[in-house]
Amino acid sequence: MSFLSVKKLSKHFGGLIANNEIDLEVEKGEIRGIIGPNGAGKTTFFNVISGFYQPTSGSVTFKGQNISGKHSSEISKLGVVRTFQRAALFPDFTVLENVVIARHLRANNSLVSAIFGNQKKAEEANVKRSAEIIEFLGLGDEIESLASNLSHGHQRQLGVAMALATEPELLMLDEPVAGMNSGEKAVMVGMVKKIRDEWGVTVLLVEHDMRTVMNLCDRITVIDFGEKLAEGTPDEIKNNDKVIEAYLGADDSVA
Amino acid sequence: MLKSNSMFIKRWWPAATIIIVFAFAPQLFETFWGRMGMYKLVLLQVFLANVVLAQSYRLMTTTGDWTLCHYILMGMGAYTTAILAKFYGVPFYLTIPVAAICTVAVSFLIALPLSRTIGFAFFIGSFALGEFVRYIWEKLHFPFGGSRGLSNIPRPELGQSGDWYFVDFSSRMDISNLYYGTLILAVFALVLLYRLDTSRFGNAWKSIYSDSELCESIGINVTRYRILIFCVAGFFASLAGSLLAYQWGAIDPDNFGMIEMVYLIIWVVVGGVKTYWGPLIGVASMSLVFELTRPFDEFRPLIFGVILISSLVFMPGGLEVLIPRTTRFFKNLVGTKEVS
Amino acid sequence: MGLDILPQTIGNALVLGSIYAMVAVGLAIAFGVMQMANFSHGELFMVGAYCVYVLYTLFGWPFELAVIASFPIVALIGVIYERLIFRPTRGNVLAGFMATAGAGFILQVLISEWYGVGLPKSVQVPYPGGSDFLMTAISWQRLAIIPVTIAMVFGLWYFLTKVKDGKALRACAQDPEASVLQGIKLNKMTALAMAISGGFAGVGGALMAPIVSVNPYMGHDYAIIAFIVVIVGGMSSIPGAVLAAFILGFIHTFVSTFADSVYGMMIGVLFMAIVLIVKPTGLLGNVKV
Repeated sequence: MSFLSVKKLSKHFGGLIANNEIDLEVEKGEIRGIIGPNGAGKTTFFNVISGFYQPTSGSVTFKGQNISGKHSSEISKLGVVRTFQRAALFPDFTVLENVVIARHLRANNSLVSAIFGNQKKAEEANVKRSAEIIEFLGLGDEIESLASNLSHGHQRQLGVAMALATEPELLMLDEPVAGMNSGEKAVMVGMVKKIRDEWGVTVLLVEHDMRTVMNLCDRITVIDFGEKLAEGTPDEIKNNDKVIEAYLGADDSVA
Repeated sequence: MLKSNSMFIKRWWPAATIIIVFAFAPQLFETFWGRMGMYKLVLLQVFLANVVLAQSYRLMTTTGDWTLCHYILMGMGAYTTAILAKFYGVPFYLTIPVAAICTVAVSFLIALPLSRTIGFAFFIGSFALGEFVRYIWEKLHFPFGGSRGLSNIPRPELGQSGDWYFVDFSSRMDISNLYYGTLILAVFALVLLYRLDTSRFGNAWKSIYSDSELCESIGINVTRYRILIFCVAGFFASLAGSLLAYQWGAIDPDNFGMIEMVYLIIWVVVGGVKTYWGPLIGVASMSLVFELTRPFDEFRPLIFGVILISSLVFMPGGLEVLIPRTTRFFKNLVGTKEVS
Repeated sequence: MGLDILPQTIGNALVLGSIYAMVAVGLAIAFGVMQMANFSHGELFMVGAYCVYVLYTLFGWPFELAVIASFPIVALIGVIYERLIFRPTRGNVLAGFMATAGAGFILQVLISEWYGVGLPKSVQVPYPGGSDFLMTAISWQRLAIIPVTIAMVFGLWYFLTKVKDGKALRACAQDPEASVLQGIKLNKMTALAMAISGGFAGVGGALMAPIVSVNPYMGHDYAIIAFIVVIVGGMSSIPGAVLAAFILGFIHTFVSTFADSVYGMMIGVLFMAIVLIVKPTGLLGNVKV
C-alpha cells in the first residue's frame, strides 16, 4: 500500500475532459513533481486531490483511506494540505499571527470552551511552535512584519509556513516558484528540500519551471491533454521522446 | 488577536466605568428629572437591547455575510418569549433561554439554503427568507396573534420596586427592576460577544472573510462555520428580542419589518464593523440623533437616509476609524508615551 | 371551484407575470452593468404610480401620455441614483445596495410630504370594462399590461442587440475592463443602465396605478418579488428575469386563487430557496454572486 494512491481519476467539466483516468502513486518521503504544458490539466488534477473539485470518477486513497469526494477541509485535517499559486495569506496580520491562525483553526475545542475557557496555556504553546516553524523556514527576520508588506518570495514562503503549521504529512505545492526571481527560487528549492529531509514531509508539487522541477524532484509525472504521458526520474524524463515532443509541440517555452 | 488578553486588561477600565454609570442611571435620572426620569430610563433600556442587537449583527458580518433578516431572528426571540410568558406563564429565567434555543433552530433552517450563496445573493436571499417567517407570524393567529400581534405580555417577576434596589419612581410600574435585569443580561451578552470575537472562532470567521479558499486549505469547513455564526448571531439577537418583548409588553409583525432592519444597518454602517467598538459608537450616536429629531419625526427617515448615504459614500469605514486618531490626540494631549 | 376558472386564472397569471417582468428586468439590467443593486427599486415603482396619479388624475392628462411620461421621469431618478450613489460606491455591491435603502427612505418622505400619507390615492380607471374571451373576465386595464410589457421587452431586446449604445451596454456587462479599453465610457453606460432600470420600474408602477392603491409604501411588496425573481432567474440575466417573472406570476396567481395570497408569497419564497440550493446561479444565470 502506497502513501498516496490515485486510481483512474477523471474530471469532466461539462463536455470538456480535463483529466482522463490518471493513475499516480506517491511513496512516503519522496518529492514528486507534476509537469505538463499549459492547459494540460495539472492544476485540475491538483484541485481534485485536495478536494477543491469533486472527481467525476476514480479514487484517491491516502494511507489506505479513501479521500476522494471528501470536503477539502476534511482532507486537510487528515494531513494532506495544499498551498496556492497566488500569495494566499491574511494580509492584515503579522507573519507570526498568520501562522498562529493557521494552527488555531485546527485546534479542536468547542464554542463554549472558546468563550469560557482559559486558552492561555494552549496559546503559548501555539506561539512557540509557530515561531519554530517560521525560524525553520528562514523567515525569522520577518516574524513581526505585516504579511502584506512582505516581498513576493517571502509571501509564498509564508504560504508554505501556514500549510506546515497544520502539521501535514503530505504537502501539496501549487507552482511554488511562480513569479519568483532566481534568488527567490533557490531559497524556495532549499526550503522544500529541508522540509522533506529534516521533517520527513512528503511533497507533491505542480510546477512550470523545468529547472526547479529537475533540481528538486525525486520522480516526475508528466501530464498532457489530461492524460498521463510519462513518469520517471528527472533524467528519464529529460530523455523521454514523448515528453520532448509534447513540449516542442506546445507554444509555451520550457525554460 | 495575540494581543487580545492584554487588550482586554487595557480596555476594561473604561468598560467598568461605563457599567457603573449605567448602574447608577436610575438614581441619576430620578434626581435630575423626577418622575419624568422613568421615561428616560425606558429609553436607556431600549438602548441596551439595541446595543446587544447591533453587536450580534456585527458578529454576523465578520465573515462578510451581511444579512437582511437579523430583525426577524430578534423577532423570533421576542415572539417565543411572549408566547411562553403570556399563554403558559413561564417565568423569565426560562423564557429567555428557551427563546434563544428556538431562535438558534430557526437560524439554522434559514442558514442552510443561504450558505449556498455569498455576497449579494446571500443578502437578498436572507431578505426573502426573513419575509417568509414574517408571513407566518401574520398568517397564524395562534400562537402568533396574526397581524395584530401579541399584547399584554406579563412583565417578568423581578419583585416589587424598591425590594432589592433603592430607586422608587413612585409609580405602579416596577421599572427600575426591569432596567437592572436588562442591564445584567446586556452586560452578560456583551462580554460573551467580546470573548467570542477574540476567540479562535472569532479569528476563524475573520479569516473566512479575508480568504475563504485559504481557510479551506488549512482545515476550516467554511460552510459549517458560516452556518455556525448565523446561529450564534441568532442566539444573541434572540436575547435582545426577549428584552424588548418584556419592555414593550406588546409585539406585532411590523415591529420586525424592513424599516427597522434598515435602521439596524444604519447603526452598524455609521459605527463600522471592523472593531468591537464600532457598533457601540453607531448605536450611541444614532440613538442620540433619533432623540434629537423627535420634533420632526415625519422627516426622520429622510434624515437617516441622508446619514446612511453620506456615511457609505464619504466614510465607508464608519466612525470607528476615528478611534485611533482620537486616542492618539488625547495621548499627545496628556503627554503619555505612544504605546504601539 | 373547478376547471372552469382555469382559463381565468391563467389570464390573471399572465398579467401578473408581465408586471413582475417589467419590474424585475429593470433590476436585472442594472445589476448586470457594474453590479448596481437597487434596494429601493420598489420606490421607483411607487414614483411611477405617482406620476400617473399627478399627471392623469390631478392634471387631467390622457392616461397614455401619463404612462409614457413616467418613463423619462423615473429614468431621471435612476440617473441621479447612479450619479450620487452607485458611482461613488462602485466596486462595493453591498455599500451601493444599502445606500439605496437610504434613498428609498428619502423618496418615501418626499412623496408623503408633497401628497400626504393619509388615504391611498385613488386613480379612476381609464379603460373600464373587460374582456369576455374564452370564459375569462379580465378588465381591459389589466389586460393592457401584457402588450405593453411585450412591446417594452422587445424594445429592450432590439436596443441591446441592434443599437450601438445597447451593444456597448451588453459588452460592458460582460467585461467592463475590456470594453473600457475599446473606448466605451463606463460612466455613460452605468447611467444608461440605471435610466433603463428606472424607466421600466416607472412604467410598471404607472400601469398598476389604476389597479392598486397608490401610497408611498406600495413599492415594498413589488421589491421583494422583484428580488426573488432576479435570484430565481439568475442575477443580471434578462431572459432569466422574464422567465422567472412568469413562473412567479403563475405560482402567486394559482396559490392565491386556490388558497390565499400570503401562502402564494410563501411558496414563492420557498421556490427561491429550492433554486438557491439546487442551482445557486439561478435558472438562466451563469455567475455566482
